[in-house]
Amino acid sequence: MNGISCSINAPNGLYDISGVEVGQHFYWQIGGFQVHAQVLITSWVVIAILLGSALIDVRNPQTIPTAGQNFFEYVLEFIRDVSKTQIGEEYGPWVPFIGTMFLFIFVSNWSGALLPWKIIQLPHGELAAPTNDINTTVALALLTSVAYFYAGLSKKGLGYFSKYIQPTPILLPINILEDFTKPLSLSFRLFGNILADELVVVVLVSLVPSVVPIPVMFLGLFTSGIQALIFATLAAAYIGESMEGHH
Amino acid sequence: MANMIMASSKPVMTTIVASNPKLPKIPTPKLLKPQLIPTLKSISLFTLTSLSFAPPSVGAEIEKAALFDFNLTLPIMMAQFLLLMFALDKVYFTPLGEFMDQRDAAIKEKLSGVKDTSEEVKQLEEQANAIMRAARAEISAALNKMKKETQLEVEQKLGEGRKKVEGELQEALANLENQKEETIKSLDSQISALSQDIVKKVLPL
Repeated sequence: MNGISCSINAPNGLYDISGVEVGQHFYWQIGGFQVHAQVLITSWVVIAILLGSALIDVRNPQTIPTAGQNFFEYVLEFIRDVSKTQIGEEYGPWVPFIGTMFLFIFVSNWSGALLPWKIIQLPHGELAAPTNDINTTVALALLTSVAYFYAGLSKKGLGYFSKYIQPTPILLPINILEDFTKPLSLSFRLFGNILADELVVVVLVSLVPSVVPIPVMFLGLFTSGIQALIFATLAAAYIGESMEGHH
Repeated sequence: MANMIMASSKPVMTTIVASNPKLPKIPTPKLLKPQLIPTLKSISLFTLTSLSFAPPSVGAEIEKAALFDFNLTLPIMMAQFLLLMFALDKVYFTPLGEFMDQRDAAIKEKLSGVKDTSEEVKQLEEQANAIMRAARAEISAALNKMKKETQLEVEQKLGEGRKKVEGELQEALANLENQKEETIKSLDSQISALSQDIVKKVLPL
Protein backbone atom coordinates (compact mmCIF):
# COMPACT_ATOMS: atom_id res chain seq x y z
CA MET A 1 0.00 0.00 0.00
CA ASN A 2 1.56 3.21 -1.07
CA GLY A 3 -0.93 5.62 0.50
CA ILE A 4 1.36 6.68 3.25
CA SER A 5 4.51 7.34 1.25
CA CYS A 6 5.99 10.49 2.68
CA SER A 7 6.78 11.79 -0.77
CA ILE A 8 6.80 15.35 -2.00
CA ASN A 9 3.12 15.18 -2.83
CA ALA A 10 0.90 15.95 0.08
CA PRO A 11 -0.44 12.92 1.82
CA ASN A 12 -3.88 11.89 0.66
CA GLY A 13 -6.52 11.24 3.21
CA LEU A 14 -7.13 12.32 6.71
CA TYR A 15 -5.75 9.22 8.28
CA ASP A 16 -2.39 9.87 6.67
CA ILE A 17 -2.19 13.09 8.60
CA SER A 18 -3.21 11.60 11.86
CA GLY A 19 -1.13 8.59 11.27
CA VAL A 20 2.03 10.20 10.07
CA GLU A 21 2.47 13.87 10.53
CA VAL A 22 0.79 15.07 13.65
CA GLY A 23 2.91 14.16 16.59
CA GLN A 24 5.40 12.17 14.59
CA HIS A 25 8.87 13.23 15.48
CA PHE A 26 12.30 12.43 14.22
CA TYR A 27 14.09 11.27 17.31
CA TRP A 28 17.71 11.47 18.16
CA GLN A 29 19.33 10.00 21.24
CA ILE A 30 21.55 12.25 23.29
CA GLY A 31 22.87 10.66 26.40
CA GLY A 32 19.97 8.85 27.93
CA PHE A 33 17.43 11.27 26.51
CA GLN A 34 15.50 11.71 23.33
CA VAL A 35 15.24 14.89 21.38
CA HIS A 36 13.04 16.00 18.55
CA ALA A 37 15.62 16.36 15.86
CA GLN A 38 13.34 18.10 13.39
CA VAL A 39 12.81 20.94 15.87
CA LEU A 40 16.52 21.28 16.47
CA ILE A 41 17.35 21.29 12.77
CA THR A 42 14.81 23.92 11.86
CA SER A 43 15.78 26.05 14.85
CA TRP A 44 19.41 25.93 13.69
CA VAL A 45 18.30 27.18 10.30
CA VAL A 46 16.33 30.01 11.92
CA ILE A 47 19.30 30.97 14.08
CA ALA A 48 21.56 30.90 11.03
CA ILE A 49 19.18 33.18 9.14
CA LEU A 50 18.98 35.65 12.03
CA LEU A 51 22.67 35.82 12.81
CA GLY A 52 23.74 35.74 9.19
CA SER A 53 21.53 38.58 8.04
CA ALA A 54 22.38 40.64 11.11
CA LEU A 55 26.10 40.15 10.58
CA ILE A 56 25.92 41.07 6.92
CA ASP A 57 23.79 44.16 7.23
CA VAL A 58 24.97 45.72 10.47
CA ARG A 59 28.69 45.39 9.95
CA ASN A 60 29.74 49.00 9.19
CA PRO A 61 26.93 51.29 10.15
CA GLN A 62 26.75 54.34 7.92
CA THR A 63 25.18 57.63 8.86
CA ILE A 64 23.02 57.39 5.78
CA PRO A 65 21.97 53.75 6.05
CA THR A 66 22.00 51.16 3.33
CA ALA A 67 18.77 49.30 2.64
CA GLY A 68 19.63 46.38 4.90
CA GLN A 69 20.85 48.58 7.71
CA ASN A 70 17.72 50.68 7.37
CA PHE A 71 15.55 47.58 7.73
CA PHE A 72 17.39 46.46 10.83
CA GLU A 73 17.20 49.96 12.29
CA TYR A 74 13.45 49.90 11.71
CA VAL A 75 13.17 46.53 13.45
CA LEU A 76 15.26 47.75 16.36
CA GLU A 77 13.17 50.89 16.73
CA PHE A 78 10.02 48.80 16.65
CA ILE A 79 11.32 46.48 19.36
CA ARG A 80 12.48 49.43 21.46
CA ASP A 81 9.05 51.00 21.09
CA VAL A 82 7.32 47.81 22.25
CA SER A 83 9.67 47.46 25.21
CA LYS A 84 9.40 51.11 26.17
CA THR A 85 5.62 51.09 26.02
CA GLN A 86 5.35 48.04 28.21
CA ILE A 87 8.26 48.34 30.59
CA GLY A 88 8.70 52.08 30.96
CA GLU A 89 11.87 54.04 31.36
CA GLU A 90 14.20 51.21 32.36
CA TYR A 91 13.56 49.30 29.17
CA GLY A 92 17.14 49.38 27.95
CA PRO A 93 18.55 46.13 29.40
CA TRP A 94 15.49 44.19 28.27
CA VAL A 95 15.63 45.08 24.59
CA PRO A 96 17.85 42.10 23.66
CA PHE A 97 15.52 39.66 25.41
CA ILE A 98 12.30 41.02 23.94
CA GLY A 99 13.94 41.53 20.58
CA THR A 100 15.31 38.01 20.38
CA MET A 101 11.96 36.64 21.49
CA PHE A 102 10.12 38.55 18.79
CA LEU A 103 12.64 37.85 16.04
CA PHE A 104 13.04 34.16 16.84
CA ILE A 105 9.32 33.47 16.94
CA PHE A 106 8.62 35.62 13.88
CA VAL A 107 11.32 34.06 11.74
CA SER A 108 10.43 30.56 12.98
CA ASN A 109 6.77 30.97 12.11
CA TRP A 110 7.41 32.51 8.73
CA SER A 111 10.12 29.97 7.90
CA GLY A 112 7.63 27.23 8.62
CA ALA A 113 5.16 28.81 6.23
CA LEU A 114 7.49 30.06 3.50
CA LEU A 115 10.53 27.81 3.27
CA PRO A 116 10.12 24.62 1.24
CA TRP A 117 10.93 22.20 4.04
CA LYS A 118 9.25 19.32 2.28
CA ILE A 119 12.15 19.04 -0.12
CA ILE A 120 14.20 17.51 2.67
CA GLN A 121 12.89 14.11 3.57
CA LEU A 122 13.33 12.86 7.09
CA PRO A 123 13.28 9.19 7.95
CA HIS A 124 10.39 9.93 10.26
CA GLY A 125 8.28 12.98 10.78
CA GLU A 126 8.85 16.12 8.78
CA LEU A 127 10.49 19.52 9.02
CA ALA A 128 8.27 22.44 9.90
CA ALA A 129 8.36 25.58 12.02
CA PRO A 130 10.22 24.93 15.26
CA THR A 131 7.43 26.66 17.14
CA ASN A 132 4.94 23.95 16.27
CA ASP A 133 6.51 21.80 18.94
CA ILE A 134 5.36 22.07 22.53
CA ASN A 135 8.95 21.93 23.75
CA THR A 136 9.87 25.15 21.99
CA THR A 137 6.90 27.17 23.11
CA VAL A 138 7.09 25.95 26.69
CA ALA A 139 10.81 26.72 26.71
CA LEU A 140 10.14 30.28 25.58
CA ALA A 141 7.30 30.69 28.07
CA LEU A 142 9.42 29.39 30.94
CA LEU A 143 12.21 31.78 29.96
CA THR A 144 9.67 34.60 30.09
CA SER A 145 8.60 33.50 33.55
CA VAL A 146 12.19 33.41 34.75
CA ALA A 147 12.75 36.82 33.16
CA TYR A 148 9.92 38.54 34.94
CA PHE A 149 10.78 36.92 38.25
CA TYR A 150 14.35 38.05 37.79
CA ALA A 151 13.20 41.55 36.89
CA GLY A 152 11.00 41.86 39.95
CA LEU A 153 13.50 40.36 42.34
CA SER A 154 16.44 42.36 41.08
CA LYS A 155 14.49 45.59 41.31
CA LYS A 156 12.65 45.13 44.56
CA GLY A 157 14.52 42.38 46.34
CA LEU A 158 12.36 40.25 48.56
CA GLY A 159 9.76 43.00 48.63
CA TYR A 160 8.73 41.64 45.27
CA PHE A 161 6.69 38.98 47.03
CA SER A 162 4.50 41.64 48.58
CA LYS A 163 2.75 41.94 45.24
CA TYR A 164 1.03 38.63 45.93
CA ILE A 165 -1.06 40.17 48.64
CA GLN A 166 -1.23 43.49 46.88
CA PRO A 167 -4.81 44.72 46.58
CA THR A 168 -6.06 42.41 49.31
CA PRO A 169 -4.68 39.18 50.81
CA ILE A 170 -7.84 37.40 49.73
CA LEU A 171 -6.48 37.43 46.18
CA LEU A 172 -3.36 35.50 47.21
CA PRO A 173 -4.42 32.17 45.60
CA ILE A 174 -5.35 33.94 42.41
CA ASN A 175 -2.03 35.75 42.28
CA ILE A 176 -0.18 32.49 42.79
CA LEU A 177 -2.29 30.87 40.13
CA GLU A 178 -1.35 33.67 37.76
CA ASP A 179 2.27 32.59 37.96
CA PHE A 180 1.25 29.28 36.45
CA THR A 181 -1.32 30.50 33.98
CA LYS A 182 0.95 33.12 32.46
CA PRO A 183 3.50 30.71 30.99
CA LEU A 184 0.77 28.19 30.25
CA SER A 185 -1.27 30.63 28.20
CA LEU A 186 1.79 32.02 26.44
CA SER A 187 3.02 28.62 25.38
CA PHE A 188 -0.32 27.18 24.36
CA ARG A 189 -1.38 30.26 22.46
CA LEU A 190 1.70 30.10 20.28
CA PHE A 191 1.77 26.32 19.99
CA GLY A 192 -1.91 26.05 19.12
CA ASN A 193 -1.82 28.83 16.55
CA ILE A 194 1.19 27.55 14.67
CA LEU A 195 0.31 23.85 14.76
CA ALA A 196 -3.31 24.45 13.84
CA ASP A 197 -2.37 26.70 10.96
CA GLU A 198 -0.01 24.06 9.59
CA LEU A 199 -2.68 21.39 9.94
CA VAL A 200 -5.31 23.50 8.19
CA VAL A 201 -2.97 24.18 5.28
CA VAL A 202 -2.01 20.52 4.99
CA VAL A 203 -5.61 19.36 5.10
CA LEU A 204 -6.70 21.90 2.52
CA VAL A 205 -3.80 21.04 0.25
CA SER A 206 -4.69 17.40 0.44
CA LEU A 207 -8.41 17.92 -0.13
CA VAL A 208 -8.74 20.66 -2.73
CA PRO A 209 -6.78 21.85 -5.74
CA SER A 210 -3.73 23.97 -5.37
CA VAL A 211 -5.07 27.54 -5.56
CA VAL A 212 -7.61 27.31 -2.78
CA PRO A 213 -5.28 26.96 0.21
CA ILE A 214 -3.42 30.14 -0.75
CA PRO A 215 -5.68 32.59 1.13
CA VAL A 216 -5.35 30.35 4.17
CA MET A 217 -1.60 30.50 3.77
CA PHE A 218 -1.72 34.28 3.72
CA LEU A 219 -3.92 34.21 6.79
CA GLY A 220 -1.34 31.94 8.36
CA LEU A 221 1.46 34.40 7.61
CA PHE A 222 -0.57 37.21 9.12
CA THR A 223 -1.58 35.38 12.29
CA SER A 224 1.85 33.92 12.88
CA GLY A 225 3.35 37.39 12.64
CA ILE A 226 0.77 38.66 15.09
CA GLN A 227 1.51 35.76 17.42
CA ALA A 228 5.17 36.71 17.51
CA LEU A 229 4.23 40.27 18.34
CA ILE A 230 1.77 39.16 21.01
CA PHE A 231 4.30 36.86 22.67
CA ALA A 232 6.93 39.58 22.78
CA THR A 233 4.48 42.24 23.95
CA LEU A 234 3.09 40.04 26.70
CA ALA A 235 6.58 39.10 27.84
CA ALA A 236 7.44 42.80 28.04
CA ALA A 237 4.17 43.50 29.83
CA TYR A 238 4.86 40.85 32.47
CA ILE A 239 8.35 42.21 32.97
CA GLY A 240 7.04 45.75 33.24
CA GLU A 241 4.33 44.65 35.63
CA SER A 242 6.77 43.06 38.01
CA MET A 243 9.09 46.05 37.85
CA GLU A 244 6.29 48.49 38.49
CA GLY A 245 6.99 51.28 40.92
CA HIS A 246 6.35 51.13 44.60
CA HIS A 247 2.79 51.94 45.38
CA MET B 1 0.06 17.17 33.44
CA ALA B 2 1.85 16.19 30.32
CA ASN B 3 0.99 12.53 30.90
CA MET B 4 -2.67 13.38 31.35
CA ILE B 5 -2.74 15.32 28.14
CA MET B 6 -0.85 12.62 26.31
CA ALA B 7 -3.25 10.03 27.58
CA SER B 8 -6.21 12.09 26.53
CA SER B 9 -4.76 12.73 23.10
CA LYS B 10 -4.44 9.07 22.36
CA PRO B 11 -8.17 8.28 22.13
CA VAL B 12 -8.60 11.35 19.89
CA MET B 13 -6.02 10.00 17.50
CA THR B 14 -7.47 6.52 17.44
CA THR B 15 -11.02 7.77 16.82
CA ILE B 16 -9.88 9.78 13.83
CA VAL B 17 -8.06 6.77 12.53
CA ALA B 18 -10.98 4.44 13.20
CA SER B 19 -13.58 6.65 11.52
CA ASN B 20 -11.91 6.37 8.16
CA PRO B 21 -13.71 3.85 5.92
CA LYS B 22 -10.47 2.61 4.40
CA LEU B 23 -8.68 0.03 6.41
CA PRO B 24 -6.23 2.12 8.31
CA LYS B 25 -2.82 0.66 8.13
CA ILE B 26 -0.64 2.35 10.66
CA PRO B 27 2.70 1.71 9.08
CA THR B 28 5.60 0.44 11.06
CA PRO B 29 8.89 2.04 10.25
CA LYS B 30 10.19 -1.31 9.08
CA LEU B 31 7.61 -1.34 6.31
CA LEU B 32 8.36 2.26 5.45
CA LYS B 33 12.07 1.98 5.12
CA PRO B 34 12.27 -0.22 2.02
CA GLN B 35 9.71 2.01 0.28
CA LEU B 36 11.41 5.20 1.33
CA ILE B 37 15.01 4.45 0.54
CA PRO B 38 14.67 4.59 -3.27
CA THR B 39 12.76 7.91 -3.11
CA LEU B 40 15.21 9.30 -0.58
CA LYS B 41 18.15 8.36 -2.69
CA SER B 42 16.66 10.04 -5.71
CA ILE B 43 15.98 13.24 -3.83
CA SER B 44 18.67 14.04 -1.34
CA LEU B 45 21.45 11.69 -0.44
CA PHE B 46 23.29 14.36 1.41
CA THR B 47 20.47 15.21 3.78
CA LEU B 48 19.96 11.55 4.46
CA THR B 49 23.53 11.00 5.48
CA SER B 50 23.67 14.12 7.58
CA LEU B 51 20.37 13.57 9.26
CA SER B 52 20.70 9.93 10.03
CA PHE B 53 24.15 10.02 11.53
CA ALA B 54 22.42 9.74 14.92
CA PRO B 55 20.13 6.80 14.42
CA PRO B 56 16.58 7.56 15.48
CA SER B 57 15.20 5.41 18.22
CA VAL B 58 12.72 3.71 16.00
CA GLY B 59 10.28 1.21 17.27
CA ALA B 60 6.65 0.85 18.05
CA GLU B 61 6.69 3.71 20.54
CA ILE B 62 6.77 6.32 17.76
CA GLU B 63 3.23 5.59 16.69
CA LYS B 64 1.82 6.96 19.87
CA ALA B 65 1.47 10.29 18.01
CA ALA B 66 2.87 12.26 20.85
CA LEU B 67 1.71 15.82 20.60
CA PHE B 68 2.72 16.76 24.13
CA ASP B 69 5.99 14.96 24.17
CA PHE B 70 8.36 16.74 26.54
CA ASN B 71 11.94 15.67 26.42
CA LEU B 72 15.47 17.01 26.30
CA THR B 73 14.43 19.26 23.44
CA LEU B 74 13.02 21.73 25.97
CA PRO B 75 16.23 22.62 27.81
CA ILE B 76 18.16 22.51 24.55
CA MET B 77 15.80 25.08 23.05
CA MET B 78 16.14 27.21 26.16
CA ALA B 79 19.92 27.10 25.90
CA GLN B 80 19.81 27.85 22.18
CA PHE B 81 17.55 30.81 22.75
CA LEU B 82 19.85 32.24 25.41
CA LEU B 83 22.88 31.77 23.18
CA LEU B 84 21.01 33.45 20.32
CA MET B 85 20.08 36.31 22.62
CA PHE B 86 23.69 36.96 23.64
CA ALA B 87 24.94 36.59 20.08
CA LEU B 88 22.33 38.95 18.66
CA ASP B 89 23.03 41.40 21.43
CA LYS B 90 26.71 41.43 20.63
CA VAL B 91 26.26 41.59 16.86
CA TYR B 92 23.13 43.63 16.34
CA PHE B 93 21.34 45.20 19.27
CA THR B 94 24.23 46.84 21.06
CA PRO B 95 26.32 48.11 18.12
CA LEU B 96 23.38 49.33 16.07
CA GLY B 97 21.63 50.75 19.09
CA GLU B 98 24.67 52.74 20.14
CA PHE B 99 25.24 53.90 16.59
CA MET B 100 21.64 55.11 16.31
CA ASP B 101 21.82 56.89 19.65
CA GLN B 102 25.06 58.60 18.67
CA ARG B 103 23.58 59.71 15.39
CA ASP B 104 20.53 61.13 17.15
CA ALA B 105 22.71 63.00 19.63
CA ALA B 106 24.86 64.43 16.83
CA ILE B 107 21.80 65.61 14.95
CA LYS B 108 20.38 67.22 18.07
CA GLU B 109 23.67 68.99 18.69
CA LYS B 110 23.73 70.31 15.17
CA LEU B 111 20.19 71.58 15.46
CA SER B 112 20.87 73.38 18.72
CA GLY B 113 24.11 74.67 17.23
CA VAL B 114 22.18 76.16 14.36
CA LYS B 115 19.94 78.00 16.77
CA ASP B 116 23.00 79.47 18.54
CA THR B 117 24.57 80.71 15.33
CA SER B 118 21.44 82.64 14.47
CA GLU B 119 21.95 84.58 17.70
CA GLU B 120 25.58 85.14 16.81
CA VAL B 121 24.49 86.45 13.47
CA LYS B 122 22.20 88.96 15.18
CA GLN B 123 25.04 90.14 17.38
CA LEU B 124 27.30 90.58 14.40
CA GLU B 125 24.60 92.56 12.64
CA GLU B 126 24.26 94.90 15.57
CA GLN B 127 28.01 95.40 15.69
CA ALA B 128 28.02 96.21 12.01
CA ASN B 129 25.23 98.73 12.51
CA ALA B 130 27.06 100.37 15.38
CA ILE B 131 30.20 100.69 13.29
CA MET B 132 28.22 102.19 10.46
CA ARG B 133 26.64 104.71 12.75
CA ALA B 134 29.97 105.68 14.24
CA ALA B 135 31.45 106.08 10.80
CA ARG B 136 28.58 108.24 9.68
CA ALA B 137 28.88 110.37 12.80
CA GLU B 138 32.56 110.83 12.13
CA ILE B 139 31.94 111.81 8.58
CA SER B 140 29.29 114.34 9.47
CA ALA B 141 31.50 115.83 12.17
CA ALA B 142 34.38 116.20 9.77
CA LEU B 143 32.04 117.64 7.23
CA ASN B 144 30.73 120.20 9.67
CA LYS B 145 34.23 121.18 10.67
CA MET B 146 35.24 121.70 7.12
CA LYS B 147 32.14 123.71 6.46
CA LYS B 148 32.90 125.98 9.36
CA GLU B 149 36.46 126.52 8.28
CA THR B 150 35.55 127.35 4.75
CA GLN B 151 32.87 129.68 5.99
CA LEU B 152 35.36 131.54 8.10
CA GLU B 153 37.66 131.88 5.18
CA VAL B 154 34.87 133.06 3.01
CA GLU B 155 33.80 135.65 5.53
CA GLN B 156 37.34 136.79 5.90
CA LYS B 157 37.72 137.28 2.22
CA LEU B 158 34.40 138.98 2.02
CA GLY B 159 35.41 141.37 4.77
CA GLU B 160 38.62 142.22 3.01
CA GLY B 161 36.84 142.78 -0.23
CA ARG B 162 34.36 145.06 1.42
CA LYS B 163 37.03 147.09 3.02
CA LYS B 164 38.76 147.49 -0.24
CA VAL B 165 35.61 148.51 -1.93
CA GLU B 166 34.77 150.91 0.85
CA GLY B 167 38.22 152.46 0.59
CA GLU B 168 37.88 152.97 -3.04
CA LEU B 169 34.45 154.36 -2.52
CA GLN B 170 35.76 156.83 -0.02
CA GLU B 171 38.48 157.82 -2.42
CA ALA B 172 36.04 158.25 -5.21
CA LEU B 173 33.78 160.33 -2.96
CA ALA B 174 36.71 162.45 -1.87
CA ASN B 175 37.65 162.95 -5.48
CA LEU B 176 34.16 163.94 -6.30
CA GLU B 177 34.11 166.39 -3.44
CA ASN B 178 37.36 167.90 -4.64
CA GLN B 179 36.06 168.15 -8.10
CA LYS B 180 32.89 169.69 -6.86
CA GLU B 181 34.78 172.26 -4.90
CA GLU B 182 37.00 172.96 -7.78
CA THR B 183 34.11 173.41 -10.12
CA ILE B 184 32.35 175.52 -7.54
CA LYS B 185 35.47 177.57 -7.21
CA SER B 186 35.80 177.90 -10.92
CA LEU B 187 32.14 178.67 -11.16
CA ASP B 188 32.53 181.23 -8.46
CA SER B 189 35.26 182.97 -10.33
CA GLN B 190 33.23 182.88 -13.48
CA ILE B 191 30.19 184.12 -11.66
CA SER B 192 32.15 187.02 -10.26
CA ALA B 193 33.59 187.77 -13.69
CA LEU B 194 30.17 187.62 -15.19
CA SER B 195 28.63 189.74 -12.57
CA GLN B 196 31.29 192.40 -13.06
CA ASP B 197 30.59 192.40 -16.73
CA ILE B 198 26.92 192.80 -16.12
CA VAL B 199 27.51 195.59 -13.70
CA LYS B 200 29.69 197.39 -16.23
CA LYS B 201 27.11 197.02 -18.86
CA VAL B 202 24.17 197.96 -16.77
CA LEU B 203 25.65 200.89 -14.93
CA PRO B 204 25.61 204.26 -16.71
CA LEU B 205 27.16 204.80 -19.70
